[in-house]
Amino acid sequence: MSSNEPPGGMFGLSYDSESRVFEALKLLSTAIIVLVGVWPIYWMIQLAFTEYETVEDAVTVFPLPEIFTLDNFAVLADPEMYTYMFNTVVVAIGTIVTVVVVSLIAGYGLARLSFPQKENFARILLIGYLFSPIVIGIPLYQIWRSIGLLDTRIGLIIALSALSMPFAVWLMWKYIMTIPEAHEEAAWVDGASRWRGFRDVVVPQCRPAIIAAALFAFALAWNDFTFAQILLPSTETTTFAPGVLRAMGQAQFLPDAHLMAISLVMTLPPLLFAYFMQSYLLKGFQVRAL
Amino acid sequence: MAGETGESIRSRRTYIPWDSLPASRETVVGIGTVLPVVVLYVLIAVFPIAFAFWASLHDIHTLSPEWVWIGLENYYEVVEIATFWGSLWRGVVYMVGSTLIQLAVGLWMALVLNRITRGQKLLTAVVFTAYLIPTIIVSLMALRVFDPAGGVFQVLGAGFDLWSATEAPLGSRTWAMPLLILIGSWKFSVFITIFTLAQLRAIPNRFYEAAKVCGANRWQMFRDITLPRLTGIILVVVLLRSIFMFNKFDIIWQLTEGGPGDATTTLPVLAYKTVYTDQAYGFANAIAVVMFLFLLVSAIAYFKLFNPSEEVETTT
Repeated sequence: MSSNEPPGGMFGLSYDSESRVFEALKLLSTAIIVLVGVWPIYWMIQLAFTEYETVEDAVTVFPLPEIFTLDNFAVLADPEMYTYMFNTVVVAIGTIVTVVVVSLIAGYGLARLSFPQKENFARILLIGYLFSPIVIGIPLYQIWRSIGLLDTRIGLIIALSALSMPFAVWLMWKYIMTIPEAHEEAAWVDGASRWRGFRDVVVPQCRPAIIAAALFAFALAWNDFTFAQILLPSTETTTFAPGVLRAMGQAQFLPDAHLMAISLVMTLPPLLFAYFMQSYLLKGFQVRAL
Repeated sequence: MAGETGESIRSRRTYIPWDSLPASRETVVGIGTVLPVVVLYVLIAVFPIAFAFWASLHDIHTLSPEWVWIGLENYYEVVEIATFWGSLWRGVVYMVGSTLIQLAVGLWMALVLNRITRGQKLLTAVVFTAYLIPTIIVSLMALRVFDPAGGVFQVLGAGFDLWSATEAPLGSRTWAMPLLILIGSWKFSVFITIFTLAQLRAIPNRFYEAAKVCGANRWQMFRDITLPRLTGIILVVVLLRSIFMFNKFDIIWQLTEGGPGDATTTLPVLAYKTVYTDQAYGFANAIAVVMFLFLLVSAIAYFKLFNPSEEVETTT
């Protein structure tokens, strides 16, 4: 399809039939995406509402009344599972708060203040994308043990926050640069300090970037398995992912239908965030934060 | 900086001891703002890597505090043992296979999501959810549907004679690795979708309108407008995905624990097993250091390819 051909549609088709072919392909692609994207989530939901004996030995497609049950959700009241989920929520919130606060301040400094080695600092920051939980986790295990952070949620929060830093700081930095400095200057003229200018002028305008950074930190904390597995070895402090895997390994009474029920509950927050905050997410990723 | 004007106008100035420091106030405050990040990096990267190197020079049992100096012996052992080279090879297979599939699927999804008119928000949300869902849930799902006892994919595959009716595909030497790649791709393709979709949304519509007026067809529009805007981001995400997949530990451990035998043992899994199964902490650190060196090479490639210094100067 070189450009010196006489103008016309793709593959020698007329524009009209090209559009038709394109629409058809688009529809087909959409159908495939819906199928592949929605199917696993649907499957999880339907298994969560099916009696666990049935799930273990037959393929069912829909929880018909005779096999429908809500009993699987009783697993949420299991003290062990409850602890895991509670720990995950605490770690997620801790990570979000740490990431947002640290990256806002650093982003402001990078955007508004001049200090030596600023560019090199930003460049070194990018190396953070290469931190791999397994490479870092193995030595960190002993370090945390010797300073008493092993088996504490704070230890995990610190590790996860560091992992989110390159993205969050670059995002804040680039975003704050798009806010005109004149807004702050106006506040300074009225006698505001730099800190007040930051707090009352810059931070409120950073809302989209804050939400994007928070979402990113949430995804990281909610997803994390490797760090938690290594840094939280005991059952009382560990998070959902390693906890559930260990519970499965200990051959307790843990049928798949119960696992699906608890998975469904853990999937709801990401699903809601993805729906209601996707514009922020996309806006955040548009800023070249890589 | 306009900040200086602001300061001189300010009526009352409190005395702050850093005014008498040799560096200017702005420098001190500036460095202060990035200090927390530096502390985090030192704690999570500099310390552990230095510690890993130091530990790799010792013979250490995972649970005992006794360190025996053995110099570079761990490294000789790393390059000698067959499991290391086997794991490296399997890791490369896993990385290349995953990245190629993810690139194709992720890019295709982004192009489709950018063009559909109805239900765009909902479908985008569903696709994004795949990335936000914890890996453990993807694994639990996969374990369920490939389970010989009532797993739907196991039954379907047995129907197509891919495996026998009682066999667990994730425990078979032939299927474990391909399935790991496919299951991982369900989740991680979306990473590429998110970044390319964000980039696609940023292309102004008037470009396409102008091209249409000039009589360009869809392929020409894609080739001359869309693709040039995407190449930069594609390079970056492919590199990042390769690095992430090379380091992937969670999904492999959850689904197969590196088995059957060594069939899905990649370097991260090998390092983990060395710590907890073989209890050889020093040796595991040697593997970690070697992996870190691979990462460093990738980092250099990253900086050469992408040249972030240009990014540092541009504003948006």
